[in-house]
Amino acid sequence: MKFSAIYFFLVIICLTSCEKVIDLPLDVAPKKYMIEGTITDAKGGCRVLISQTKNFDEDNSFKGISGAEVSIKDENNNSITLPEVSPGIYTDSSITGIPGKTYSLHVNINGTGFDASSKMPVKVIMDSLYISDDNIFGQVRKTPNINYTDPEGRGNNYRFVLYVNGIKRNNIYIVNDDYSDGNISSIKLFLFGEDDDKKIKSGDKIGVDMLCISPEVYKYWYSLNAGATGNNNAASPANPVSNISGGALGYFSAQTVQTKLIEVP
Amino acid sequence: MIKAIYLAFILLGSAAVSYAQQKFTISGTIRSQRTGETLIGATIRSGDAGTFSNDYGFFSLTLEKGKYNIEASAIGMQAQNIPVTLDKNITLSIALKDEQKTLDNITIIASSKSRSLSSPQMGIERLTAKEIKNIPALLGERDVLKTVQLLPGIKSAGDGNSGFYVRGGAADQNLILLDEATVYNASHLLGFFSTFNSDAIKDITVYKGGMPAQYGGRLSSVLDIKMNDGNNQDYSVSGGIGLISAKLNVEGPIQKDKSSFLVTGRRTYADLFLKLAKDSSLRDNVLNFYDLNAKLNYSIGSKDRIFLSGYFGKDKLAAGETFGLDWGNATGTFRWNHIFSNKLFSNTSAIFSNYDYNINIRSGANQFDIFSQIRDWNLKQEFQWYLNNRNNIRFGFNTIYHIIRPGEVRPSTDKSSINEALLQKRYSWENAIYATNTWKATDKLHITYGLRLTLFSILGKGDFYTITPDGEVSDTLSYKKGQFVKTYVNPEPRLAASYQLNTVSSVKASYVRNVQNLHLISNSTTSSPTDKWVASTNIIKPEISDLFAVGYYRNFSDNKYELTIETYYKTMQHQIDYRDGANIYINSDAIETQLLFGKGRAYGIEWQFKKKTGKLTGWLSYTLSKTEKKINGISNNNWYNARQDRTHDIALVLSYQLNKKWTLSANWVFYTGNAVTFPAGKYKVDDQVVFYYTERNGYRMPDYHRLDIGATWLLKQKKRFSSELNFSLYNAYGRENAYTITFRESKDDPEKTEAVQLALFKFIPSISYNFKF
Repeated sequence: MKFSAIYFFLVIICLTSCEKVIDLPLDVAPKKYMIEGTITDAKGGCRVLISQTKNFDEDNSFKGISGAEVSIKDENNNSITLPEVSPGIYTDSSITGIPGKTYSLHVNINGTGFDASSKMPVKVIMDSLYISDDNIFGQVRKTPNINYTDPEGRGNNYRFVLYVNGIKRNNIYIVNDDYSDGNISSIKLFLFGEDDDKKIKSGDKIGVDMLCISPEVYKYWYSLNAGATGNNNAASPANPVSNISGGALGYFSAQTVQTKLIEVP
Repeated sequence: MIKAIYLAFILLGSAAVSYAQQKFTISGTIRSQRTGETLIGATIRSGDAGTFSNDYGFFSLTLEKGKYNIEASAIGMQAQNIPVTLDKNITLSIALKDEQKTLDNITIIASSKSRSLSSPQMGIERLTAKEIKNIPALLGERDVLKTVQLLPGIKSAGDGNSGFYVRGGAADQNLILLDEATVYNASHLLGFFSTFNSDAIKDITVYKGGMPAQYGGRLSSVLDIKMNDGNNQDYSVSGGIGLISAKLNVEGPIQKDKSSFLVTGRRTYADLFLKLAKDSSLRDNVLNFYDLNAKLNYSIGSKDRIFLSGYFGKDKLAAGETFGLDWGNATGTFRWNHIFSNKLFSNTSAIFSNYDYNINIRSGANQFDIFSQIRDWNLKQEFQWYLNNRNNIRFGFNTIYHIIRPGEVRPSTDKSSINEALLQKRYSWENAIYATNTWKATDKLHITYGLRLTLFSILGKGDFYTITPDGEVSDTLSYKKGQFVKTYVNPEPRLAASYQLNTVSSVKASYVRNVQNLHLISNSTTSSPTDKWVASTNIIKPEISDLFAVGYYRNFSDNKYELTIETYYKTMQHQIDYRDGANIYINSDAIETQLLFGKGRAYGIEWQFKKKTGKLTGWLSYTLSKTEKKINGISNNNWYNARQDRTHDIALVLSYQLNKKWTLSANWVFYTGNAVTFPAGKYKVDDQVVFYYTERNGYRMPDYHRLDIGATWLLKQKKRFSSELNFSLYNAYGRENAYTITFRESKDDPEKTEAVQLALFKFIPSISYNFKF
């Protein structure tokens, strides 16, 4: 239900608009921790990344925070500490989660504690992944499509991650069953306004991860997409709504994952 | 209701002064001789005693027995002197001739000769279609709402946008009336054009403060637009062809002097731009709008007149087969004027108003339509009682039944992956009674005092909620059809006084309270047709504003120049904002779960210097102001700058009559950029750079300034046929004004982030041809 981007796109096409990079003096804010934690139903999916905000004019490289204490706990209070495998990356390749179970994350960075919990939803799988030719504002574009069957009962939330030739695209694809509960659903992973060299072509290898996420994590991605990607025209940009307590940015998600690959015909 | 009116009578009557000498009343109607159109706000005076014609051209002036020379004058018309011997009540039917323009003797009165120094009314601006005509416009589309934005205290919602903010209020806090019907979405084409076709418009009155008691329902302003009635003397056809639209206006008598009709249409061909676009395959897209204004009026004898007017407008936008959106307003007004006596004028209006939008999605298995609507049934009764020379009373009532359909999703095929989802219809009943008196306490001191009492009832059928501080529904209460959920009762006092210091200057002060029960929920920066109107509920309280203002007014050089200074302080209660991560399109009736509430304050000072007559006319206005909000849950519950907070706002508007053929015009605007939220840093989520924010609206957009120039070339002016060419250049020096500033990974170096400014309009020339016969 997000049409504002579409209008905006249309308006820009038809008016003599002009885009330029500007130099904007931005204030420097105190650093804030960023925690990105996941546990999935697959091995190797349990990973916690800890970093810090950077100033706008710094480079974009990930600068991990080392030396944190990171642990994951299941419903039966079985706690596992995740070792730091490289700076800021804490992972345990043996842990797998079970759909329906709630997991808790505890992080301690220099004496400051952060906590979160997330319930892994029921796993819903992709029935198919295929490519269609879609006419997007007059241009024919190759668009990946996903079909799946949403289970009865509202509250299912999904996120899709698109890879083209092994490179993750920075588009946020999220959907819930608010308006489509219990139906065979089909999702188009549109790529609006991409440069010509980023368009999908015949022979490209497309990969899609389907993640079933909890409502809080859906809200995180929804609010991130609406307010923090820097390229929207929302009235008031804001930090996404996090499910981590203690004042960190980021999220903790217990999610199921399924991957499909296809070559573009 | 009747009781209340009696009560109002008694209250107001107490201000009446006793009759000492024999007095008689001159009443009647003032019109244009050429078209038969009644004139609004025309001056009828004799020496110091005088009055203005009302919205229907009616006037009533009571004087002592004697001989008088009555002078009748109006903007753009030749003044007329009528000698009368007043030894009984008399009725005058005044017809003024159009102003003559001759080469060597140009007298142009660009606006009413003198802003009334004596009237307690403050914060009022009046424009006629004639005044708007010469102001250069974007793509040559003359636009009422964009002209209004050049007035002090009224700010544009953005480059080329027809939305506006008045004295710190939000865009939805303006009551926009077309022949008394509320227009819920006054913009076309995503805000770039207004729904008002200037060819069909007679008079525009803007109240940015001190609203008289007959108006209510919005916090910040009233924009009262009156359509032409239609020429009852002769048939006439006029029209115009511009860059983006063509217009045609047909009017004429049905029975000469008694009845007339008017039909005005406008249709854009913006689609053609898409067809001319570089990308040839864009032609499947649709982007257009049209409007139709129609009016009939009929005089039944000398005491009664009826009017039927309507507006219908529609926008269409489509991207091939996959996406379609149309939206539009429809209004209808039936009015009956009745002159009970030479002192008592009555108007009864039955009004219908509708706004809706429809979205069609046909994309793969996602096949569905979305529909939303707001509809009003409205009855207004007003009496104007010209009690005596010292007291002029207005009283009446207004009752409106609102039906809101917040959103209805319907699958368009059986195989659609979308389910039917119909949000509950919301019903409400808004009632108001009011009475106001303008009392000339002394020759120098005039006072208007009045009261408007609003009763807003929320009606079933429907579910209403209680909500936790975290925005979760904790309880649901179901109401039956027609059951009263809650009634909000709000008295709205209206007070204004003027004191005339001498013949050329006066001071005024006013206090006004306004209450708003319909709220627009919008989370985009530009106006969007899918913005949501919601009525007050048990949780969404009526918005209340209190506005205090004082002003100084001075005329110079025999009314050639005019200086106006007004300063104001406004407080606003129960203002609405969004929770972080709010989704206003959720499939839930409890929209309140997405909202936060707080308050606002605004203050400022406005200067306007105007030259009203001569070859060169125009004005310079400057506003210095501040607007802040304090919302529970935003910016740590501290005061922060509202988005529309702009410190400085300057407008210079000039029009120069070069000779009989050419009129040149220019306007220049400057304002401080809006308050905006920019990132304080960045971080990575799932390997993607996103931005970190620390404070709401802590930054400013760059300053905005722009010069527009225009010229009108009168090709022919004969009795039966006239035509002209209009040229304009919008943004003449090509300033790249920032429309948006966005942030992204650099295209050249993905390891860097950059700020990108988008500017929309740069050197937009246009030409249009207008004719009349």
